Amino acid sequence: MNNLTKMTRLEVVVPARDAPSIRELIASAGATGYTSVSGVSGIGHHGQHSGALLFNEYDTLTMLITVLPPDKAGDLIDAVRELLSTSSGVMFVADTYVSRPDYFQ
Amino acid sequence: MSLILRAHVATAAQGVVPSWPLESFIAVNPLAGDEARPFETAAAADVRFTRSRDDYLRDLNEGRITAADLEAALLERTPELAGVITIGGMAVRRTHAAVLDMTSASWVSPTVANDRSSWLDDYLSAWVSSYVNPDPLWQMPHKQQGFFGAWRALARHDSRLPRAVRRRLSEVPLEPDAALAWALDQLAVPANTVTAALREELAFLPGWVAHIKWRAEKIGDIDLTSYLAVRWTVRALRAVGVPAAPVAPVTVDPAAAVWSRADAVAAEIVGPAATREDTAALARVLAWHPVSAHPFTWQKAYELHYRAALLPALIDSDPADDPPELQVVMCIDPRSEGMRRHLERAPAVETFGFAGFFGVPVRFARYGARSAVNSLPALLSPRHQVTEQPTAPERAERVVARGRNRDAVRTAVHSADSSTATPFAFAETTGWLYGATSVLRTFTPTLHARLGRGLAGSRKSLDTTVAVADAFSLDERAAIAETGVRMMGMSLFAPLVILAGHSSESTNNLYESALDCGACGGNPGAANARSAAAIFNDPDVRALLRARGIDIPESSFFVGAEHNTVTDSVDLLDRHLIPESHRQLAQRFEQVQGTAADELVRERANDLPGASARKHPSRVRRRAHDWAEVYPELGLAGNAAMIIGPRRMTRGVDLGRRVFLHSYETMLDPNGTALETIMTAPLVVAQWINHQYYFSALNPTTLGAGTKTIHNAVGTIGVLAGHSGDLRRGLPWQSVGIGSRLFHEPLRLAVIIEAPLDRVGGIVSRNQVLRNLFDNDWITLTARDDRGSAWHRYTPYGWKSTPAMEGQYR
Repeated sequence: MNNLTKMTRLEVVVPARDAPSIRELIASAGATGYTSVSGVSGIGHHGQHSGALLFNEYDTLTMLITVLPPDKAGDLIDAVRELLSTSSGVMFVADTYVSRPDYFQ
Repeated sequence: MSLILRAHVATAAQGVVPSWPLESFIAVNPLAGDEARPFETAAAADVRFTRSRDDYLRDLNEGRITAADLEAALLERTPELAGVITIGGMAVRRTHAAVLDMTSASWVSPTVANDRSSWLDDYLSAWVSSYVNPDPLWQMPHKQQGFFGAWRALARHDSRLPRAVRRRLSEVPLEPDAALAWALDQLAVPANTVTAALREELAFLPGWVAHIKWRAEKIGDIDLTSYLAVRWTVRALRAVGVPAAPVAPVTVDPAAAVWSRADAVAAEIVGPAATREDTAALARVLAWHPVSAHPFTWQKAYELHYRAALLPALIDSDPADDPPELQVVMCIDPRSEGMRRHLERAPAVETFGFAGFFGVPVRFARYGARSAVNSLPALLSPRHQVTEQPTAPERAERVVARGRNRDAVRTAVHSADSSTATPFAFAETTGWLYGATSVLRTFTPTLHARLGRGLAGSRKSLDTTVAVADAFSLDERAAIAETGVRMMGMSLFAPLVILAGHSSESTNNLYESALDCGACGGNPGAANARSAAAIFNDPDVRALLRARGIDIPESSFFVGAEHNTVTDSVDLLDRHLIPESHRQLAQRFEQVQGTAADELVRERANDLPGASARKHPSRVRRRAHDWAEVYPELGLAGNAAMIIGPRRMTRGVDLGRRVFLHSYETMLDPNGTALETIMTAPLVVAQWINHQYYFSALNPTTLGAGTKTIHNAVGTIGVLAGHSGDLRRGLPWQSVGIGSRLFHEPLRLAVIIEAPLDRVGGIVSRNQVLRNLFDNDWITLTARDDRGSAWHRYTPYGWKSTPAMEGQYR
């Protein structure tokens, strides 16, 4: 597809207090980076979640997005699933395409 | 394998609440990991969630809990107990029968002193404290390899490990993840029990584990994987088995079966004539309220008694006709309540409550300082660096140079004092001087402190300004000011507005930062107060505020101040910035404050161990400099409620320094944003503090730090009780009790709000942190729409107006 390279994209939405564990897993999986969006809002299994709070970054939701080669993604998916098995949060996994694959190797 | 193992470690550590170092003590709920569960079901085998049955029975005898409180608590917790039953031909309230049951059925509290410490705990504690100590006599070799790497490299020389074990160290993988996997494999831990086994291992040194979790996130030199790797490697090498879960003690007397309980109640109501039908009817009632629920009903009654007295006390005084000359904004901290009450005895003074960082979250560095402090709530990350600029740079250079010289002398003395080779010679040559100063310090601590200040020269004499405009853009500064005004509900501005942060001054007190401002990250609040005052005085900020409907007159001047909670002095800061036109008002404030301080010190002397209200206030104030004083002040002991609403609700009411007070006016917050900010930040911080006191009082040796008298410091990180063992968590016994008696009443925070109920309910429903706290009964919420409206209690099913409010059930 237009000389793009197939990769795997993970989006994980967790309470901000659990985000450090997810970031550690992403780094340990060999991902070269991630994007973190704090104060995301929405409605889910645990009800409504307000967005960014003025003086509290600790009790909001954080979305972490990372892209990595499919052969590295499996271990990370298993690890995040294990972590989310006992806590609140969701993980979305999708194929994605990038133009500069060397950035993600 | 290693990635999934890291996930197992993270899962096992989910319930671990990070513990801040002692230098910036942050009060936390040690059981915050359980807040998603109902308070009652979070109870663990070795944690006390309530006081003992004997304590509650004593309160019942003394009137601190009444039968009416118990019946109200029963109805609130178990609505099925409403109504009456017929016993012996008499109509008896079901709640009355249940109260009789509660006073006769026995139960025992969990055993807290569950000492599971082992050789492995002492071994790990020594290694971790050596590794993280910021000021060791010798730096640990190989530290750059991380905790596991350093241990693996050095353990071969550690004689505490048997020789055979040390020989096998070469078999252990180099990396912590691989080593942990290797050890689990050696001990044949099944894959499906790894998380449980790791969780059990983390439970052995909960203090160190909590600190390592904080350190992994904030500093990054150690993490729980490397900690567990060392523990499990030692287990594998010494062939010590997998840790066993503690056996849950039996907490309920098996004899208290419902039938025998009903028999006892029937005999009490009817006497020997009670029939089998009476017993059966009572058994059906009592089955709704098993013995396992009794401790929590007692606790609820204990709390209702306080709340039922508090609500009618809110008298709604009429506002003064004349605008005030002085407005004082103080932290929501309960200690401010006393100062505000005494200040307001002067009619010219109006006070407000606001989070003590005044909405200005900064990382602050004093002029010439080598480091900075995060002066902001623990809920935020520092993003704005604020420094000081001296108004007379040449003089400032000299003051800083003198300070550096003093530091150099202190460092040299400390080195000579603590080095292996020199202490005896040092003592021989300087002992006479130290002996004399020790005598002076012991018998005249105030004079000693004054002499020390005189010799050292005080940084306070240096005139500086805070460079807040360099840290925040104009828009950000205007947003801070607008947020502050709307959160405080400030509509009129006095000629002089004093923003008073607070700090605590004590000597030889490892827990000094626990007495500083919680909203400022366990630091003194002066930097934030000064920064906020600079923002409010900025003409460009005022112009932007005017465009947003907030008109601060040119005649109003803001000035920072700091409330010393040991001496109760409130010192104005940056006095050199006060314009000539406002100096008389500043002097007027100092007069009013001086009187208020003396009155407040006398009031506090009634509660302070060893103090007397009849003696001169200086006797209490000398505690700030007394190096033998374990009770410099009582901090936030007694905290029990938080009131969010206009000051008219509480002005003139003696709340006993037990209530967090946050000002709020619905009219100035049209979209509810300010209330949401208050409920998701200051309220959450107040709840952390409240639960820290609650669990430290009920579990003083496990979730509290035990007595100060045997504490040994690990650098500025924390304390050990004695020379080894776990890092202590929570507050020392001297923060909650004296002798064997508690002076802190462990009450869950009662939050009281005056604001439209639908607004309050909406905020709760869209914030999970609040849903967890209120729905799960960790704290309670009572609210009313406005002045004159009825109070309503929040429940997961909606607002309820009950007779338990406003003391009607008395």
